[in-house]
Amino acid sequence: MAEEPESALQLPPSTAADGEGPTEVSPETATPEPPSSAAVSPGTEEPAGDTKKKIDILLKAVGDTPIMKTKKWAVERTRTIQGLIDFIKKFLKLVASEQLFIYVNQSFAPSPDQEVGTLYECFGSDGKLVLHYCKSQAWG
Amino acid sequence: MEEDEFFGEKTFQRYCAEFIKHSQQIGDGWEWRTSKDSSDGYMCKTHFQVKNGTVVSHPGTSAHEQTCLPMEEALELPLDDFEVPETMAATDVIKYEYHVLYSCSYQVPVLYFRASFLDGRPLALKDVWEGVHDCYKTRLLQGPWGTITQQEHPILGQPFCVLHPCKTDEFMTPVLKNSRKINGNVNYITSWLSVVGPVVGLNLPLSYARAASQGE
Repeated sequence: MAEEPESALQLPPSTAADGEGPTEVSPETATPEPPSSAAVSPGTEEPAGDTKKKIDILLKAVGDTPIMKTKKWAVERTRTIQGLIDFIKKFLKLVASEQLFIYVNQSFAPSPDQEVGTLYECFGSDGKLVLHYCKSQAWG
Repeated sequence: MEEDEFFGEKTFQRYCAEFIKHSQQIGDGWEWRTSKDSSDGYMCKTHFQVKNGTVVSHPGTSAHEQTCLPMEEALELPLDDFEVPETMAATDVIKYEYHVLYSCSYQVPVLYFRASFLDGRPLALKDVWEGVHDCYKTRLLQGPWGTITQQEHPILGQPFCVLHPCKTDEFMTPVLKNSRKINGNVNYITSWLSVVGPVVGLNLPLSYARAASQGE
């Protein structure tokens, strides 16, 4: 898997013209410090644009999986599922023996190197992509 | 229909039939085979992977595959039409076979697979792992699938690698429970294969996700 460059969490607004306020809005409630893995920032009120580089993702926990306090995230289109998995694992502070899976349409796991932008095109609605995530115990 | 996370052979066959129906629509190559001796059957697919990253363009490639193939090297080619281009050595091409069978003892599907060169020589397990993309390797090591072992194929009687089914219900149950609350028409096989497939080089096109939720 190509190691995507770790772009800084503090990204300038993609559309400089609008005065929507700070892009890097901290989550509404106190959360653990987000890991430095990149290209994922808390959901903002970015205006819809044709060349929007990030898409909105809503993360929903399944089963016993801890619920993320920040559920809505703006993620770069080129971020892969594996990248998102790594991010959520760090955010939730899962131990190494725990695996995390992500699903579209509640039950289909996209391949780990599928890009979220593509998933958004196929499964997004109401301006966002809903992804369910579920942890499971690894073997041994 | 209220379904448990475990199901019987008939339900397995029904899920496979739905799965294959979509596969036929998109030319994904899955087929159903029955055993000579009984009504038992399994689902299977063969694909060829070019080891050195050379992309072989194939005129028959399905135009309605909306997703880019996740593994750059993997090609979904129909068995009959594949010809090794002159520039490639036979050892550059690996044939993968995937079989989905039903395990009566665990009451879940099981993934059998094997890899071989075009001349029929099987690949050693360690060589199969070398062909697995790095991100899948991690998943392989950390995933909840127990072990991968070599076992005799229950119907063909030939050695295959198997993803052990003992943990299947563990990772399937929460997802199925959740998805059935939202949408009753979930195809277990589609869901399960989407999770375990990539670990062994098998990727499902995204259109299966739509088909599954529409209950085709």
